[in-house]
Amino acid sequence: MVTNVLAVAEHREGRVVGATYELVAKGRELAAKAGGTLHVALLGHGVGAIAAEIASRGVDVLHVEHAGLAAYTAGGYAQALSGFRPNQNPGVILLAHTTQGYDLAPRLAAEWNAPIVANCTDLFLEGGVLVAHRKILNDKMAIELEVRSEQPYIVTLRPGSVKPAASGGQGSVIRVDVPLDPAKNGRTFLGYEKPQVQDIDIASADIVVSAGRGIQKKENLKVVEEFARALGGVVGASRPLTDLEWLPKTRQVGQSGKTVRPKLYVACGISGAMQHIAGMKDAGLILAVNTDPSAPIFEVAHYGVVANVLEFIPALLKELKGH
Amino acid sequence: MALNIIVCLKQVPNPDLQFQVSGDGKDIKRDALNYKVNGADEYALEEAVRLKEKHGGTVTAVTAGPKRTEQMLREALAKGADKAVRVVFEDPAAVDAFQVAKILAATIAKRPHDVVLTGVQSDDHAYSATGALAAGFLGVPHASVVTRIEVTDGGVKAWRELEGGDQEVVSLALPALLTIQFGINQPRYAPLPAIMKAARQPIEEVTSAALGQASWDAFRGPYSIVVRRMSTPPLKGHAAMIGGSVADQAKAVAVLLREKGFYRGG
Repeated sequence: MVTNVLAVAEHREGRVVGATYELVAKGRELAAKAGGTLHVALLGHGVGAIAAEIASRGVDVLHVEHAGLAAYTAGGYAQALSGFRPNQNPGVILLAHTTQGYDLAPRLAAEWNAPIVANCTDLFLEGGVLVAHRKILNDKMAIELEVRSEQPYIVTLRPGSVKPAASGGQGSVIRVDVPLDPAKNGRTFLGYEKPQVQDIDIASADIVVSAGRGIQKKENLKVVEEFARALGGVVGASRPLTDLEWLPKTRQVGQSGKTVRPKLYVACGISGAMQHIAGMKDAGLILAVNTDPSAPIFEVAHYGVVANVLEFIPALLKELKGH
Repeated sequence: MALNIIVCLKQVPNPDLQFQVSGDGKDIKRDALNYKVNGADEYALEEAVRLKEKHGGTVTAVTAGPKRTEQMLREALAKGADKAVRVVFEDPAAVDAFQVAKILAATIAKRPHDVVLTGVQSDDHAYSATGALAAGFLGVPHASVVTRIEVTDGGVKAWRELEGGDQEVVSLALPALLTIQFGINQPRYAPLPAIMKAARQPIEEVTSAALGQASWDAFRGPYSIVVRRMSTPPLKGHAAMIGGSVADQAKAVAVLLREKGFYRGG
């Protein structure tokens, strides 16, 4: 059974979002196995340079150029992608599991009456059957789903799950016209808002000591602060702490915060939700301290300590300072 | 303008717990689980109540789940929801977000709705799909990952969180569905008198028959989805675990930090 794959490119403010190339890599693998072809759908306005850049990864780009697509909206993108169906006949629609991808993919699934499997860590086609690997329950369990459908499979791939496609080869850019009716879109893009930074930049620090829910109380932040100071590092945080406003948003490490690559990253009482790990997994050395031995943070850490941070850090400081 | 607000809630196994694979290898063991309201949904509920407090109107809390979810609905009533609706969909695992969203959309369509809120994702399946699916089935615009809402003339302005700390501002015509991000507000605690009152409030039950269908299968998409296997993920875990007492652990880590040159003082 031949299955064609259509990967939906993501771009923002003139730049390709990196996860797009992960879709290219996975899409190429799926299409090759299923005897089909991979195309990348690029929707936008004034995005010729982006089209060329994506094609330079050796993949053919279907480029829709339309003023109504100048900014992403779920409705606009869904309309444009629906326009692809008659000619491209895609069997799998691949999107990144980003704030754009999971905004769009379910909308598409509802409009197409098609199955959706979101936030996958791996994908396979077995004949016409889609097998999706996912992590659930705080990444503590792995689940494999088997989906059989005549409709296209709509799938989002968790960023960082596969190696992105490298440069090389030359794909072609094919202009495609699809009918679009902006009046049908009940959502209008108004603009971006960027954080006003008036804080230290944790992304430029060599040592980041991050606090998570394991510190239990705001007063206990000073334990982590003292430890960071002893190492000459800065204090970061997981999302729950910035949500509680124990630390400013500028200190948040993770997908919706900062991505950091310090020489040393210490996770203090952080369980390691996928959003957090995305922002620190490339640190040079990762030390994690957590009471839960099954916490996913220990999967990315180089060294792990199962302990209560509130007992461990004072003991460690005593060790360090006592010598 | 007074708003008819619907907030969709989900009860999930407390994700801080340990899980084991069930006997058939296709689900987690559910006999001794502790359930709680989904994390993001707590913020959605609080936002719904705040919208009502600001603009007037009513908040209806809706869930699709087994009898145990009544406890969560009572909490929602105690925190400011006016009505609670339990869709009698008993599937404890509910792996097909499409089906759940279609059931929710059918339930919502039958009552007045200006603003529909859901959490951005569930702590169990983590699809981040149910809200936008339901919006698609309802045929209303949606925005996901919302961190701020402003009601405007005939519509809403919503701030969507993007990667890297940026926000995107969009406007939507009403009715609209918004999926709510963690941290949009500080959820309140329910006052004791409200908890007592909520214990006596009725919970409306919705069956498939009430939605004009013989069974919940009628809400499935034209495909099959089954669990092939559930497992505990093999620890890629290259973390070298440092054991012993806290004092032993502290000693070992102190040596490590000195060796690697991360501690130069003292």
